[in-house]
Amino acid sequence: MAVELQLIDAAKAGSVEAFTELVSAYRERLLRFLVTRCASLADAEDALQDTLIAAYRYLHSYDPRWRFSTWLYRIAIRNAGKLHAPELVDVNEARDLRDEENDPLAHCIAASESENLWVAARRVLSDDVFAAMWLRYAEDMSVNDISKTLDRSVSWTKVNLMRGRRSLESQLNDAAEHAYG
Amino acid sequence: MTPPNTLMDKLALKLREDADKIEVRISDELDHRIEASLRAAAPAKPARPAPRARPPWFWLASALTGATAAIAVLAIVNLSGVDEPAVPAPTIVAADPMPLLDLDTEAVTLTAPLQQELEDLQSDLKKAEEKVRREIGL
Repeated sequence: MAVELQLIDAAKAGSVEAFTELVSAYRERLLRFLVTRCASLADAEDALQDTLIAAYRYLHSYDPRWRFSTWLYRIAIRNAGKLHAPELVDVNEARDLRDEENDPLAHCIAASESENLWVAARRVLSDDVFAAMWLRYAEDMSVNDISKTLDRSVSWTKVNLMRGRRSLESQLNDAAEHAYG
Repeated sequence: MTPPNTLMDKLALKLREDADKIEVRISDELDHRIEASLRAAAPAKPARPAPRARPPWFWLASALTGATAAIAVLAIVNLSGVDEPAVPAPTIVAADPMPLLDLDTEAVTLTAPLQQELEDLQSDLKKAEEKVRREIGL
């Protein structure tokens, strides 16, 4: 944490090297998350680039009371949202654009006997609930941090995590029943 | 039947495993692109801090300070011992007094109808005007 704060101070002073080192642990994690939200791998990469540049430019506004990862994810979600902002493309249209062939998530998942649960999650959950589930189970984020990242109340986060879990539970059960007849 | 808690743990475990199965890699091209963009972007300067909210009693303190300052100025001005030289009162000197006109005036009692009275008054006025002209030599 102390090292992270030192790197933040150096990056604030304009050191690109310090910033690169600071975000090195988060870049792939962010890209993995963005792949689940964007229509193509190119969009996900663009969103990652925009996220890192925005984080570098506005590092002075980072509040050390937050976890750095929470702050980064918040920017990433905003940037991914811009790619299918209502004035550009309708959200449903954006989902349609993510066809099987171009779906970056499908491209990034190794062949497996069972369906990746995140693919099912994206099919049955809304964008925000999906993001909450991802931050909780893929990133081990606390409920408080998730609510800050998504700019939602803690109670909204708790309720929707519970709903998301129920939906995915039934998906998991259906998959198990299907597998074992 | 699986107890709910166990199922929940199983779900969390499956989600974690499946997240790890999503393989992404930052390509060299993307890496270079990001670094070039970072070098081109300068950190934005922090915005000026918003002015601090003033406490509710600020207006009272401000008014008291103003009143005190005004009293102090008045006291200094009035108690200072400097006597300003008395300015002589301006005297009005009449230059070439105009000759007073001897106007014969008398009260008019309105007895006739208004139009008639008006005509009589206009006639009197004309006569008086001619008399004045004669007296001043026009």
